[in-house]
Amino acid sequence: MSAESTAFLYPFIEGDEHDAASLLADLATSAAAKWDQSSRLRVETLEHLDGQLAEVGAVMARCFEAGGQLFAFGNGGSATDADDVAQLFTRPPWGEPLPARSLVTDHAVLSALSNDVGFDVVFSRQLEAHGRPGDIALGLSTSGNSENLLRAFAQAARQGMRTVGLSGYEGGRMADCSELEHCLVVPSDSVHRIQETQAALAHALWAAVQHAYRPEGAP
Amino acid sequence: MTVLRPDAAPAGGADLGASAGLCDDLARASLALARRFAAGGTLWCVSPSSTFHAHHVAVEFVHPVIMGTRALPAVVVPAGADLVASLRATVRPGDMVVAVAGAAEAEVAEAMRRGPAWGTETVWIGAGPRPADGAADHVLWLDLDDPLVASELFVRIYHLLWELTHVCFEHTGLLRPDTCEEEVCITCSDEGRTAEVVSVDDLGEALVRTAEGREHIDTTLIDPPRPGDLVLVHAGSAIASLEEGR
Repeated sequence: MSAESTAFLYPFIEGDEHDAASLLADLATSAAAKWDQSSRLRVETLEHLDGQLAEVGAVMARCFEAGGQLFAFGNGGSATDADDVAQLFTRPPWGEPLPARSLVTDHAVLSALSNDVGFDVVFSRQLEAHGRPGDIALGLSTSGNSENLLRAFAQAARQGMRTVGLSGYEGGRMADCSELEHCLVVPSDSVHRIQETQAALAHALWAAVQHAYRPEGAP
Repeated sequence: MTVLRPDAAPAGGADLGASAGLCDDLARASLALARRFAAGGTLWCVSPSSTFHAHHVAVEFVHPVIMGTRALPAVVVPAGADLVASLRATVRPGDMVVAVAGAAEAEVAEAMRRGPAWGTETVWIGAGPRPADGAADHVLWLDLDDPLVASELFVRIYHLLWELTHVCFEHTGLLRPDTCEEEVCITCSDEGRTAEVVSVDDLGEALVRTAEGREHIDTTLIDPPRPGDLVLVHAGSAIASLEEGR
């Protein structure tokens, strides 16, 4: 039973509650249930997307082989995932270091764009400045509805970049975005559980790139 | 080229199931954080080798994804900062420090062991070899070595920490700070409190920082301490150095 479903049964729910033991027991039970829920979602999603991960990994590997670089972006927790991706590609625990950058790290650029234009353009405008044909735009969103990601994918497509998205729920607007070539969806309606599996998906995507990467004639 | 599948079972045969110990530790850490937040404490988030984790923890508490949950003060200690010096300058008694870091990260260990002197509650999240016993108030640890799987599960751990902390807020009667119920209370009877040396004069008197504030103590019973050292204080005197080799 989760803590939420039993909360109304607590005998001392009011301000005079003194016994922490029953609360601690319920919290631990709730943690175990959510842990298992997250584990199942992670394993099932990775299995379900196995073929798509290999396919997208190969597409990205071809970009890197041709000298392309990766731009990762997202909002909130997904912004931290973008940082994780950039760190993993450039400083991997094993395999080839590959050129990747997070578009959420430069507070001068983010605040300038937000102040002067609006937060919807913070990623598209940076892609306009940095992106070249053959580069990769990787956007992460739990809802799949972030306007600044959709604009970034459109901008990336205009510039001849490859576009990859990680989304949640049923994909959101990203699932219907014609400029987004590859959309990997974590089928859940919990932002936390989606984000936990997206972290695994991002890592699996990196592993798929490493698997497919063949740097012919690389220095 | 070696292909490592993130969905493969981690090395050592462990699966991804949560140990009962980890769930109990999460429960206790969450109640401790809820009590500190309720009393006005700030959560300082630290992850020197993977700063994105510190940012993720902080944004989780400041701007919760679930509408209607209260915004709580959580701050990232910037990457590249002198961790101990930054925290020393900014933390106040009643605050919390959460680290996502390996047991071998010495500056994290240094920040954590100052918890009793600074008055901070410490939570250390990590994987692989465990920190020494008592290295932090709450050690939320995974018994696996794959750094990527571990990193994914850290997200799960701090999400749960946030979720359970908010469950605790529904139990207002349990959010009061711990009171001293035992006959001999170490804190109240001044049996031995941890203090961090701020400065020492030629006569062996030192200005120290404890969870209760700054005070002057005598240090002539021990070898001369240096600023930054931790000492054990009893009845106005340093009775032991907590630094190795001294």
